[in-house]
Amino acid sequence: MTADFATMLSAVFPEIGLVVLMVVVLGLDLLWRDERVRRLGWITAAGCLFLVVLSLVFALPPAEPLLIWGGMLRLDAAGFVFRIVFLLGAALTALFSLGQDDLQKHGEYYGLMLVSTLGMSLMASAADLIMLYLAIELTSIPLYVLAGFRFRDDKSVEAGIKYLLFGAMTSAVMLYGLSLLYGFSGTTQIAELAEQIDRHSVPVSLLVISLVLVLVGFGFKVSAVPFHFWAPDVYEGAPTPVAGYLSTASKAAGFAVLMRVILTGFWAVTPIWMDLIAGLAIVSMTVGNLLALTQTNIKRLLAYSSIAQAGYILVGVAAGTSFGMSGAVYYLMAYLLTNLVAFGVVSVVGQRVGSDDLSAYAGLSRRAPAVALILLISMLSLGGIPPFAGFVGKVLVFAAAVEAGRWWLALIGVINSIVALYYYLIVLKSAYLLRSEDEQKPLQLMAGWRVALLVCVTGVLVLGVVIAPWFEWAGKAGWALSIY
Amino acid sequence: MLADWLYIGIFLIISLFLPSVALIVAGILGPKKPNPVKNSTYECGVETFGESLTQFKVQYYLYALVFLVFDVEAIFLYPWAVAYQVQTVFYVVEAIIFVLILLFALWYAWRKGALEWV
Amino acid sequence: MIPLSWYLIFAALLFCVGLYGVLARRNAIGIMMGVELMLNAVNINLLAFWSYLYADRLNGLVFVAIVFVAAAAEAAVGLALIISAYRRRNTVIAEELTMLKG
Repeated sequence: MTADFATMLSAVFPEIGLVVLMVVVLGLDLLWRDERVRRLGWITAAGCLFLVVLSLVFALPPAEPLLIWGGMLRLDAAGFVFRIVFLLGAALTALFSLGQDDLQKHGEYYGLMLVSTLGMSLMASAADLIMLYLAIELTSIPLYVLAGFRFRDDKSVEAGIKYLLFGAMTSAVMLYGLSLLYGFSGTTQIAELAEQIDRHSVPVSLLVISLVLVLVGFGFKVSAVPFHFWAPDVYEGAPTPVAGYLSTASKAAGFAVLMRVILTGFWAVTPIWMDLIAGLAIVSMTVGNLLALTQTNIKRLLAYSSIAQAGYILVGVAAGTSFGMSGAVYYLMAYLLTNLVAFGVVSVVGQRVGSDDLSAYAGLSRRAPAVALILLISMLSLGGIPPFAGFVGKVLVFAAAVEAGRWWLALIGVINSIVALYYYLIVLKSAYLLRSEDEQKPLQLMAGWRVALLVCVTGVLVLGVVIAPWFEWAGKAGWALSIY
Repeated sequence: MLADWLYIGIFLIISLFLPSVALIVAGILGPKKPNPVKNSTYECGVETFGESLTQFKVQYYLYALVFLVFDVEAIFLYPWAVAYQVQTVFYVVEAIIFVLILLFALWYAWRKGALEWV
Repeated sequence: MIPLSWYLIFAALLFCVGLYGVLARRNAIGIMMGVELMLNAVNINLLAFWSYLYADRLNGLVFVAIVFVAAAAEAAVGLALIISAYRRRNTVIAEELTMLKG
């Protein structure tokens, strides 16, 4: 099915909007050059929300997936849902970055964030290997800079370099796999890959080699074990809002391409990739949770937790069914809000208390009851306790695994969730039970932080209680991913 | 097929032969009256100082970075120019937008002081 | 005519050299050079496949151009980060960047 020019143009309105927004932000940064620069965070957030509206109006996916721009992009529900997720993530991250002068006073901080969002958005709807690679690089390169953005802070610079070296290496390995895929099939269209591979009767062993190479790149993006080494260091060193953005939006983008490529491109070796993904899921959950148990720095703890969360999402992917993909998409939506709010609280406390250690959270419930409550909600949601969003996500992915006959995978997932509760509760213990000397000093919250925290928490509750409409979208996205 | 390679081989031999003949003949026939000024290293007529294997200042890196933008731009514009015969207005507009975005980046780098010598 | 497999073997060897460089080098700039070698191996792969098997379509060539551009951007950003680390810490040795661990 081909589309006419007007459809194609309106389908990329949000992406064009992101470029325009970036130009506006950078231009204002140059023109103002004074205290007004601090408003750029609000402008970025408002712009992203406006783009959400724009994509709801102009870029609604058609009932049947549609290839646009010469087969480079695919207009479908998956790209649509993920784009909204990324835009929301960018808006909330921009708000959390307020009040940190070494971030908010630089227009390029927001500019880079918007470019990276653009890359993610293209990643989620890429239908061609060339577009896919370009989008991945467009996402990663600004994120390398963002991770090392505090160039006067040794830790941040180190985080940037580590992220860059790991990212460059894994993307090169992935690219080698993609070049083999192109060689076997003669096409770069993801939709045509399976058919052409079938026609050329490519040996399974060669396909598996390129599958493994490609999985290295995607595994890095979603920070699955054994490609996770960068995650704790980068999360700890990077500015906290950036770490939140890395762990949510960037991970979601990685999952979007993982599901798209693996379901369609590697259709010929489906049982093999299902086993590989299941293996990745098991080691990610287990290693992530076990290493998280001993952490004392909350950013490292959240990093290992996010590795484990990637494992849970991989359980949904390993099911290999449309339902599994829907569960993964729902989980990603829930996870985005939950983890962003967790990093938001870390950012707030880090700003006001000046430390990311767990000990900094002592007495939080007395200093800022609302912040402590928000932390409680996010930790319980991460741990998969009803009635929060994380619970629904977990139920969906585990149910998908059981439905696909992989009950053992779901069982390991459930055991891991119970283990994980331990360290989430440790965080809450320091916030609620431990006392500190500064208990009488209340935490001052900036307006932007309040808005962002409130939006996230509302989202976590809504996704946990009112399931049907969101699951309908996740279902459409999962269906769009698994059909070609 | 082989004949093509033969041509390259002949060219290779000739291109190695001619300059070496020139150098050798000059070395044999030329008068040799060395003095210190003649033996010193010639560097744009200016007296040389320091080692020739110095490290470049890191400031040059910024120029290289800004230059890279337009270096890479050529990769995209070259195929665009080759296909000029078959282009519609849309392609031209696309290329203009592309160049405008790059010019905006240059302007931004300029205003941010990336082109100042620090 | 050189057979296609020679190019592919050459690309695979180049890729392995690059990967070895990435894993074995301690200097961050050396690691980046290894990555460049890997990307060049990919380009050889793509061009060989394109010109031997699929020269009727342009997608292989376009892929190479895009890889080229992305590699340039990555190298530029990488060097910028490495320089900023060098200014702070006076080292480009990856192993000496050990503030973050646990």
